[in-house]
Amino acid sequence: MNKFLSSAYLAACTSALALGLTLSSASADEWPTNDVRLVVPYAPGGTTDVLSRRVADLLQQELDANVIVENRPGAGSTVGTGRLSRGGRDADHTILMASPGHTIGAAIYPDLTYDPVEDFVFLQNMIDIPNVMVVPADSPYENVIDFVEAAKEENMTFSHSGVGSSIHMSGELFKTLTDTNLTAVPFAGSGAALPALLGGDVDVAFENMPTVLSHIRSGDLRALAVTSAERSEYLPDVPTLSEIGEYNLDQFITTAWFGLIAHSSFPEEAQSKMREALANVMEREEFLDFAEQLGAEPGQVAGEEFKQFIVEDLKRWEDVAEQAGISQ
Amino acid sequence: MITTSDFKRRVKDPGDVVAGIILLCFSIVLVFYLVPNYINEPAILQNPMMSPRWLPEIVGWLILLFSILLILQGFLLDRSSEEDERNIEKGSTRRFVLMVVALLIYVALFESMGAVFTGILATLVLFVAHPVRTWWVYSMAFVFPIAVTFIFVEVMNVPLPIAPIGF
Amino acid sequence: MENFSEVIEIFFSLDNFLAIAIGVVIGVVVGSIPGLTATMAVALALPFTFSMQPVAAILLLVGIYKGGMYGGSITAILIRTPGSPASACTLLDGYPMAQQGHAKKALKAALYSSVIADFISNIALIFFAAYLAKIALNFGAPEFFWLICFSLTIIISLASGSMIKGLMAALLGILLSLVGLDEVFGSQRFTFGNYNLMDSISFIPLLIGLFAIPEIIEFYRKKALPHIKAKASGAGLSFSELKRCLTTIVRGSLIGVIIGAIPGTGATAAAFISYSDARRRSPNRANFGKGEVEGVAAAEAGNNGVAGATMIPLLSLGIPGDVITAIILGAFMVHGLTPGPLMFQENLSLIYALFMGIMFSSVVLLLVGNVAIKYFSLIADIPKSVLFPIVLMFCVYGAYAVNNDTFDIWVMMAFGVMGYIFNRAAIPAAPFLIGFILGPMFEDNLRRSLLIGHNDLSIFVRGPITWAFIALTVGSISLALYRFISARREARNAAAKSQEV
Repeated sequence: MNKFLSSAYLAACTSALALGLTLSSASADEWPTNDVRLVVPYAPGGTTDVLSRRVADLLQQELDANVIVENRPGAGSTVGTGRLSRGGRDADHTILMASPGHTIGAAIYPDLTYDPVEDFVFLQNMIDIPNVMVVPADSPYENVIDFVEAAKEENMTFSHSGVGSSIHMSGELFKTLTDTNLTAVPFAGSGAALPALLGGDVDVAFENMPTVLSHIRSGDLRALAVTSAERSEYLPDVPTLSEIGEYNLDQFITTAWFGLIAHSSFPEEAQSKMREALANVMEREEFLDFAEQLGAEPGQVAGEEFKQFIVEDLKRWEDVAEQAGISQ
Repeated sequence: MITTSDFKRRVKDPGDVVAGIILLCFSIVLVFYLVPNYINEPAILQNPMMSPRWLPEIVGWLILLFSILLILQGFLLDRSSEEDERNIEKGSTRRFVLMVVALLIYVALFESMGAVFTGILATLVLFVAHPVRTWWVYSMAFVFPIAVTFIFVEVMNVPLPIAPIGF
Repeated sequence: MENFSEVIEIFFSLDNFLAIAIGVVIGVVVGSIPGLTATMAVALALPFTFSMQPVAAILLLVGIYKGGMYGGSITAILIRTPGSPASACTLLDGYPMAQQGHAKKALKAALYSSVIADFISNIALIFFAAYLAKIALNFGAPEFFWLICFSLTIIISLASGSMIKGLMAALLGILLSLVGLDEVFGSQRFTFGNYNLMDSISFIPLLIGLFAIPEIIEFYRKKALPHIKAKASGAGLSFSELKRCLTTIVRGSLIGVIIGAIPGTGATAAAFISYSDARRRSPNRANFGKGEVEGVAAAEAGNNGVAGATMIPLLSLGIPGDVITAIILGAFMVHGLTPGPLMFQENLSLIYALFMGIMFSSVVLLLVGNVAIKYFSLIADIPKSVLFPIVLMFCVYGAYAVNNDTFDIWVMMAFGVMGYIFNRAAIPAAPFLIGFILGPMFEDNLRRSLLIGHNDLSIFVRGPITWAFIALTVGSISLALYRFISARREARNAAAKSQEV
């Protein structure tokens, strides 16, 4: 071993000693007594991940504690969520960014190890993103009615970002409600699905707003409808599916929701602190700007209301999964 | 050693034959047991190529075909020149066993005892296994796991398990 | 050119230069730690960019990306542990070179080809983004299918030694890649009820296991050899050697650019395609896999050629081609910018400032890389009895960190044992890896094409891109067959001659 390495090594030794002292320095008596972990049940890079990192950054300032984002991807979101449901040592400092994967996952995986409602406390719904029914710019269909009539006659395809995504399930829901000949074409994520739509390889998609908003504005895609209960302020001229009024579409109200949940043993004190901090986060300029960029609305529900919302969402996807025959 | 060399004279490459037989057995299990039992096929299929079983089945049959070819190659093709590279002089069993122990320490204790503890223990075992004679190098077994864990957890925010006993 | 002064104003700030420099350094360091990939580094750095100016924020992430792509090759060469998936190809020749005492030469070759490829890729991004974006849009499932078929023919040229064993390894790779949820129906395949397997086998633990662990196992199984001290890890790369590799590097870069512009293929595939292309053309064909500089150059050119080009679909179409660009897309959005056609109209000066920064990052990479080589190459002088226990520790920590799961340590160990058996049985690991990467792409695009074309097979020959790739596939297979047969004939002639004597 040469001189440089040994001297570098000595330096490392001294600093490691210093580090050993700092590693065990958790104090304070009020929650949070430790770092807060925000579990993202998806891989880095998706909407859930970016949103979580944005929220973690702001939450950190509100709570005055470290908020560490931890990705635990797998099988929709059920691997990360399953892990949270088992509780464990840090359960009182762990929160999870849940999304439609929470309810859809529960609907399509028959042998989940957890109860998607009772095993958790529901803190705050952060944002709601509507899905948009889009067709390529050169598509002959100008509105939903035209499209449904054509799709009753001939086979059509819709792209989605993976089995069990809200994009996939929205397509299946549309298919069952309108009784049309739609075939699902899977892609590995929205990034891969988009070129097929832009290039006209598939006929329609029910994509998340942020993925397609700029393409709608640039004229490369045509929005036929949004899936939320009310028109989106970002696309005020585009009708909602429920206002079409025909083909049972009045029942089509879904949004991709993102909200924070925790293990059912999450202490009462922590819950109230967390709700307060999250309410503050949602009022911050940075958060509202980010939501606008995603074409999203700030979440409306928290606590019991949020839980009620989850119960209804779960019921809907269970029905769709059953009718479309999707179940693992 | 007479039997081995005798065997070698008839079979050019006994390693290939053994590998081929193992893979042949595996492919048979794959095609006739694993694929039908561990891949669910949807009830309605418009095209056989759409089935989740399609590619695994093809791969299974191809493995079967190639394992037979591999066995034949072992009987016919002489690869004695390559044999030299593949033969290694075996070291002491003690060292090999200690290495396996170190690997087992990682897989068995990582979650429960934490990254630092298992890191130190396994590194020490490996230092003993292939004896490191410079005494101060042993301190590396303590410094590296502690420093790296610290950097992962505190600087880069990459979580590693921390043991209940404090580090 | 009234915008020009605005561009200069946006670009020339200390923040931007700092962001690039810090980004590249972080990238090289993190990329060189096994298990911590460029992707992870970019994700971890994202929150720090929230409070920065948009250009500096994006440049920091781009710097990490580029540094990470190079950093991965350092450990690949020195300790046979690919720091990031794309550098798996680099170790095929890089590690043998280091073992022969040419660590520094391999590291330099990797650096120079990375920088050159990076530069070419940036040029393509700046001048040909619009054209390449069009290709990307015309690249549907059938085109993809044939691209994958063509890439699969690489296996034939990578299967050194026994063709049967190479193909066998590829088949095993394809088989293992199918573990998890089926993409079309979501049915479970070979998961045996284990939820860890539902999302398929994690790639990074597999990679570390396959290459680094067998090396460690072998070291402790072999008879102890005295440590041979190499002086300063050998000489650097001579100019004539660089010149010899230059056409390979340029060709590899172009391959990288095209692959990078098509969303969803990735740097790993580009590295292997470039490598096999170089091997097929090189007069030193026989030396590939045994420590050939050209092999290192080809692999690194291929994977770095992707870096600039993946920004093409991102900036011009708003489509992230891989996970890293997806995170960069997130960073854009956090700063109130939406990449896509509109950005070229609304924020043109900002885009040009970004381009300047991206160009500048190549220069920084060259400087940082040279410093890194100086210190990293000392690793080659550490006795293996000290080095390997610490490498193992890094591997375990890194494998765990991918998904925060002990299961991945098991995966790593299992593939370590498999890699060891592969070594013993002289089964090459590279075709296994190609099979593992391309297997799912092959199946998905085949089925996707059938879905899009409503089961009509004519979709597979629907346009010039498909025809071109069919021709390439057929050509590649015929070339391999021709070489195989003529090699056999030569061997037979040689044998006949020696018998006559």
